[in-house]
Amino acid sequence: MAVFPSKEWFEEVREVYNSDRSLHSGGGGACDTTAGFSIGDRRYRIEFAGLECAEVRESNDAELAETDFIIEMPIESWKAMVRDVQENGKASSSQTLNSLDLGLEDGIAHSPVDDQYKQDLFYRYNQNFQDFFNASSRVETTLE
Amino acid sequence: MSEAVEIPEEHDLDTSWMENMGEWGANARPGKRGLTLADIQVGSYGDLPEVSDNMTGRPRGAAVRPEAYRVGAYSVHTLSEIWLDNAEYLYEEALQRQWSSATDIPWHTLEPLPDDVEEAECFLCTFFNEVEFVAGDVPARWIAKTTPDYLEARNVLVVQVMDEARHMDVFRKRALANGGGLMRMSGATSGFVGSIDLARDFTEMSTRLHISGEGAVLTMFRMGELFGQNEAEKTMYRLCAQDEARHVAFGVMHLRFLAAAEPERGEEINCYLDEAEGQLISGQQNPAGALAETSEALAVLLGGGMQHYDEGHKKLLVIRRRQLKEYMKRVMSAGFGERFENGRSPIPERYAASA
Repeated sequence: MAVFPSKEWFEEVREVYNSDRSLHSGGGGACDTTAGFSIGDRRYRIEFAGLECAEVRESNDAELAETDFIIEMPIESWKAMVRDVQENGKASSSQTLNSLDLGLEDGIAHSPVDDQYKQDLFYRYNQNFQDFFNASSRVETTLE
Repeated sequence: MSEAVEIPEEHDLDTSWMENMGEWGANARPGKRGLTLADIQVGSYGDLPEVSDNMTGRPRGAAVRPEAYRVGAYSVHTLSEIWLDNAEYLYEEALQRQWSSATDIPWHTLEPLPDDVEEAECFLCTFFNEVEFVAGDVPARWIAKTTPDYLEARNVLVVQVMDEARHMDVFRKRALANGGGLMRMSGATSGFVGSIDLARDFTEMSTRLHISGEGAVLTMFRMGELFGQNEAEKTMYRLCAQDEARHVAFGVMHLRFLAAAEPERGEEINCYLDEAEGQLISGQQNPAGALAETSEALAVLLGGGMQHYDEGHKKLLVIRRRQLKEYMKRVMSAGFGERFENGRSPIPERYAASA
């Protein structure tokens, strides 16, 4: 059983996401971006290329500074989101990435170089990221 | 009458057309994303003229046909007038991220709503229906004015028109699908939104449409996840937001290109932004604006009904604040951020006052 957050967990989600196109919902086609996830003291870097998630790896602040945008939340918020996906098969409306972003004045996504064009990629590719996390419903998960 | 050669019924085979060609031997190869427009920028086919004298509709790179008639009065024939560095990419992205308002929205999740909430949603749908007409009509006019040599930028606009058609229909569908209907038109199309169509220059149009107008609407669409009353509405707004973010990206990247290519036009661009900013705050261009009837509808939806109007209004203020912040950062990204530091723009003051 994969532990969230961990490289293994993200790798399993990536495999599920890439192996089943039915998980890619309407409006979630080609996507080319790199993003960072800041989860407590852990950092992960994810890369989407075309129709697939090309890579997810454990990372660090210096590397995340090179990404288009970073999604940052307290670890409890990440866990609540993952738990919600596990329980409902996909994020319920209050736990989607977009809803979580809107719930905070400064949002959960920001460009490390404060470039709105890059931050807007979070909005442009929102469905891919949501589909990715929704795919985690098929990964047996233990929360750390 | 046509410039095409008249061929008698009986004639000798003339294959001289085989000797007239553009650069030969092109071998574009598909990459990981298929064979994209970026992949076919090979040899001279990728050469973009700074100024285009192509008035005959000749595909870029094709051999010239000297007797061809002039078919287009292409007023946009200078690269900096319309170009952006990622045009090929935005076009492919738009093609590959299309969705269907008929089948990708979970319409079955619509449920009867209290009258005030249904009326507020239908009012908003009527408004979006109106403004999406403008957002489709205006780029469409500029497509025909642009030389075919800049086909990549034209194609992005062509797909934008498709996107806007889908937005028009999805809001219309929502208004007609849950016991309500369309409401009184907002009049936005005869106000600032309609005035986008009066732009004399492509960049003037793009600044008004892509950066000011669609930037403000992007924030609104994203907020749809908060004020949508069911999964169908939330999905509708979320998918529209993705399209809108692409349109905004066109505006930001074009302005960035123009700022670098023709810095002498900076004052002119700042004038367009001056004009747009007055409307961004208070005009009917902005459905969350202080004077817009739609902002009342939004407050009803955000609160969950008339009885929670005040609560909804508080959330609306957060939306307005976010609109302002994102707008400023987009203009900065496009290369015109100094206006927020030198006192020219009223937005920083209004942003501070909205805290």
